[in-house]
Amino acid sequence: MLRSFRTFASPAVPALICMLTAAAAQAQAPAAPPPWKQGISTDQANSTLHPFAPHMTGRSSKDLPLDKLKVPAGFKVEVWAEGVPEARSLALGDKGTVFVSNRLAKNVYAVVDKGGTREVKTLLKGLNSPNGVAFSKGTLYVAERHRITRYDGIEASLDNPPEGKVVIDGLDPQNQPGHFWKFLAMGPDGKLYYNVGAPGNIVMPGYFQGTISRVDPKSAVVETVAQGVRNSVGFDWNPQSKQLWFTEHGRDWLSDDSPSDELNVVKTKGQHFGYPFCHQGDTLDPEFGKNRDCKEFTPPVLKLGAHVAPLGMRFYNGKMFPAQYRNNIFIARHGSWNRATKQGYDVVRVSFDAGGKPKMEPFLTGFLQDEKADPPMWGRPVDVLVMKDGAMLVSDDYNGIIYRISYGKK
Amino acid sequence: MNGTLRDRSAAAFAAALCFFAADAFGADEVPRKAEPCFVCHGLGGNSTIPTNPSLAGHPAQAIAMQLYQFREGNRKDPQMSPMAANLSNKEMNELAEYFSKQKATPSGHKTAPENAAAGPKLAQEFNCVQCHGPRLLGQQHIPRLAGQQHEYLLAQLRRFKAQTRADLDGNMTSAAQALTDRDVEVLADYIAGLSAQ
Repeated sequence: MLRSFRTFASPAVPALICMLTAAAAQAQAPAAPPPWKQGISTDQANSTLHPFAPHMTGRSSKDLPLDKLKVPAGFKVEVWAEGVPEARSLALGDKGTVFVSNRLAKNVYAVVDKGGTREVKTLLKGLNSPNGVAFSKGTLYVAERHRITRYDGIEASLDNPPEGKVVIDGLDPQNQPGHFWKFLAMGPDGKLYYNVGAPGNIVMPGYFQGTISRVDPKSAVVETVAQGVRNSVGFDWNPQSKQLWFTEHGRDWLSDDSPSDELNVVKTKGQHFGYPFCHQGDTLDPEFGKNRDCKEFTPPVLKLGAHVAPLGMRFYNGKMFPAQYRNNIFIARHGSWNRATKQGYDVVRVSFDAGGKPKMEPFLTGFLQDEKADPPMWGRPVDVLVMKDGAMLVSDDYNGIIYRISYGKK
Repeated sequence: MNGTLRDRSAAAFAAALCFFAADAFGADEVPRKAEPCFVCHGLGGNSTIPTNPSLAGHPAQAIAMQLYQFREGNRKDPQMSPMAANLSNKEMNELAEYFSKQKATPSGHKTAPENAAAGPKLAQEFNCVQCHGPRLLGQQHIPRLAGQQHEYLLAQLRRFKAQTRADLDGNMTSAAQALTDRDVEVLADYIAGLSAQ
């Protein structure tokens, strides 16, 4: 039963929603709230807020208000590829192949630039929530819900990919509810970094849940890099300091304006970032924060806004954008659902002054049409990727489209 | 099986043209791919078969989502799975668009008075309205329930409760866990009798 249940019910749309095992366990207790309302405040008991699901069959760019998209002066945004249903995380191959993941669907796509047109190939099928993709030294790594696999020499066999070899299995021994999908990136130390989210909106995580961990692909030895991380679906390393920076989603159902989602940096292995005790570095959780102190935990570098759902982030290391963009961080904000007045649904730029103080400003906007409407947006950015020529790709899972942002005449 | 369905659909479609005339479909042209759907889901997607759902008047995204679930093998049905197996995303979107624009007609179901009284409270208590909307007409990827075929509603709720019905995000499966068998009966009887508009 459990096995077949996992097969059909595994993907969860929103952060807090589907604590299925918890649901089954709670079914006997009539007073228990349904899992997706877990942690809801009394003020919001009659809220009609709900998460949004992507168009799993994709939408044609011809049917979308692309003219609403805005980028700063001198930049240009265009559709780079479409027909990539539920396009999520992006990874770039040595030969220019762009690998695109799914979360609710089961595929990994390979998008090949054919000099002006893009060919979308369904590279891998039948995977279990393959949200994480990373490329390093000829190998594509894929993080599914329960394991990480490797596909060696993948760019030479896009039409006939090899069977994946397991790097590590057993990452989801209990079929965890909540945030089970994984982001994946190859660190400068040659280790694969991935998140294991918290098994619900606001719950006590198990010992390796609510973490960012790394695994050595040679030995399969795992280490915890960061703890107290509710869910991170985007991270990258500062090109100069080599420190790990990551985005983190704050809890839902506290209020419209609190807590903020976070941009964090790991300075020491094993640092604790607060969840479920302390949110946004300064706000104790009404339940789990009793008898705790936010000083125990590492605060964020920057607050990214309440419920904006920051996902992919990358340091800009290309040469196409003006010099002041170098080493800035670009963050895709997938957008708020757990908020009466919506915000996010954009890509923001984070730059730093001489003293290292961060500043956030809009970079790609226009997906948010009406902050009070349902749905409020026509597209949702998930990940950003810097290409070899310095242009930036942005994935949109709501429509299955990938956009390209360029600067100057290119 | 496909051949048989196609033959039957052609007959059904011919019948549709004869006695429905143009106004049943409005100004919309009936996509050829929609014709076979009429056999089981009724003319214009208004089912007259108790076990089969109506498609008319659902949000387009909800229809495309279910077609997708059948094609991907997440949701399985001996009749529907082969029908969806070879549809492209574009075809699914076109079918969804067409059926979403068809006027939903009343199912003719008569709700028992005691269930008409108890239903609204249950729909609130068990969060039906949270996703399906205050009048259960559906929104975005969430289907219309109001005025749907009674037996179909009953069967789906039972399957969600038994954790055997495909569910994109687990929401319906988890929502159904809280229902007693009696709640399922009351809700299905209440919802089937609601106005589909």
